[in-house]
Amino acid sequence: MGHVMPSAEKVQEIREVTRIERIGAHSHIRGLGLDDALEARQVSQGMVGQIKARKAAGVILEIIKDGKIAGRGILIAGQPGTGKTAIAMGMAQALGTDTPFTSIAGSEIFSLEMSKTEALTQAFRKSIGVRIKEETEIIEGEIVEVQIDRPATGTGAKVGKLTLKTTEMETIYQLGQKMIESLTKEKAQAGDIVTIDKATGKITKLGRSFTRARDYDAMGAQTKFVQCPEGELQKRKEVVHTVTLHEIDVINSRTQGFLALFSGDTGEIKSEVREQINSKVAEWREEGKAEIVPGVLFIDEVHMLDIECFSFLNRALESDMAPILIMATNRGITRIRGTQYTSPHGIPIDLLDRLVIISTSPYEEKEIKQILRIRCEEEDVEMNDDALTVLTRIGMETSLRYAIQLITASSLVCRKRKGTEVDVEDIKRVYSLFLDESRSTQFLKEYQQEFMFNEMVPDEMETS
Amino acid sequence: MGDPVEAGRVLSHLAEIEVVAEEILSTRREIIDMDRQRNKTREAIRALQNQKKEDKVWLCNGNMFLKVENAKAVKMLSKDFEALDTEVSSSRARLKPQVKKLRDLEMKDELKGFGLVALTPEERKSVENLL
Repeated sequence: MGHVMPSAEKVQEIREVTRIERIGAHSHIRGLGLDDALEARQVSQGMVGQIKARKAAGVILEIIKDGKIAGRGILIAGQPGTGKTAIAMGMAQALGTDTPFTSIAGSEIFSLEMSKTEALTQAFRKSIGVRIKEETEIIEGEIVEVQIDRPATGTGAKVGKLTLKTTEMETIYQLGQKMIESLTKEKAQAGDIVTIDKATGKITKLGRSFTRARDYDAMGAQTKFVQCPEGELQKRKEVVHTVTLHEIDVINSRTQGFLALFSGDTGEIKSEVREQINSKVAEWREEGKAEIVPGVLFIDEVHMLDIECFSFLNRALESDMAPILIMATNRGITRIRGTQYTSPHGIPIDLLDRLVIISTSPYEEKEIKQILRIRCEEEDVEMNDDALTVLTRIGMETSLRYAIQLITASSLVCRKRKGTEVDVEDIKRVYSLFLDESRSTQFLKEYQQEFMFNEMVPDEMETS
Repeated sequence: MGDPVEAGRVLSHLAEIEVVAEEILSTRREIIDMDRQRNKTREAIRALQNQKKEDKVWLCNGNMFLKVENAKAVKMLSKDFEALDTEVSSSRARLKPQVKKLRDLEMKDELKGFGLVALTPEERKSVENLL
């Protein structure tokens, strides 16, 4: 086998260190945790409790997977810290990579770069996939021998023979001028596993055959060993791709060359471009060349949208290529942004009418303990049982999010004192260092005179 | 446990799966054999083309040897080649529903998209940047 140079090893080490993944608030969720009968297991795939909401989400998942019903809206509503975003994450994981899943927050719609309707249109089109297939005939095999003869006269064309084999057969191909050039350019030699595209004549080296691994003592660091291909030499390769409508929009609307620098790429895509693309995709659909894959658009904090956005959503849901819309909010009866009227969840009644509503309820003590245990595992923190109980109590009295954030903080405190497990002392220390919302409000009420720009807040925000 | 009706049902389901799997394997073997034959035919055509047109050559057909003109031999072999090509295509077409049936029996999700008509090279070029 080839030898490894010491400097190559160091480079690899550096690369691994930079690949530490950031652990998000919901990274422990792998799915909805439902069994085959769509019943929710108490603790499964990172989800805990919230049985009714998860079951409802599971039913909706089946509707989405069917793919035949599009343009449905779902609203997940509940108090803060009751698992709304977690359920949406669970659904995204359960759908897999085949179905487009776009997640945005309500406030993202408002940006200086583009108008609200453009931002929403882009979000919608990112959630609609188009499935297409490409097909090529290829010849794939291990090179047994390459024989190239230069003509004796010096002016004729080169002629050559290529012997290829698989595990089942072996054959000789006569080579034309262009093939000989490609082979020489690719430096293809006996023992290489290659793929030749029949239509274009392009040669791709896949690696070297395992049987030739001991041929040389010193080989390049890039050498990859591959098994000899099986079956027939001439194969038909079919690849299925799923691209989103938004991606197609973007490549078709990009201003060419340096003019883009001067005209300023606004990020807005002209509606003519979109119409053209819609008709092209419809044409492909007719010809059986494309399939529409309606995906899921998740809008968190949907109460941040204003009345114009809601009218847009109403219309967009009626299109025949609409994705499934899942919205989440923790507001109760609130003013609809852009108007003086109030309505449940800050969403106009006519949109609410089109939605199926899933409600989430606050977690019980056992569930909070389980969630904290899962988060400890996810963040790689060892905690003893007493500390976990104290943390659960804190979670019950303050909020789940506050308790989760204490996990990492307390693990750092623990490491500082060179301990192995987080214990009650560590939890107490971070509890006193970091205030939660109610203690912070208390503190403010007592010392409000000392703060700059102090003003009395008239009404507290409704969150239930 | 030990319910004979259940055991019978499981056995027959497994037997069904085995039957479909065997069908798929035999179609694969057919394709491989035909490709082998196709390659040999192509080599033969090449070899004959390097000789003069008027020469007579020996052609083996089954267990009969025939002496025919070079040109005629090339024509016969080319016809065989075309026939093999069509056979391979139709075998591949048969393979798809068989695999679909197997995945169905194994309670696996369907492989999506392989029933689509393939894009033409121009169309493929238009979405090249995305792939």
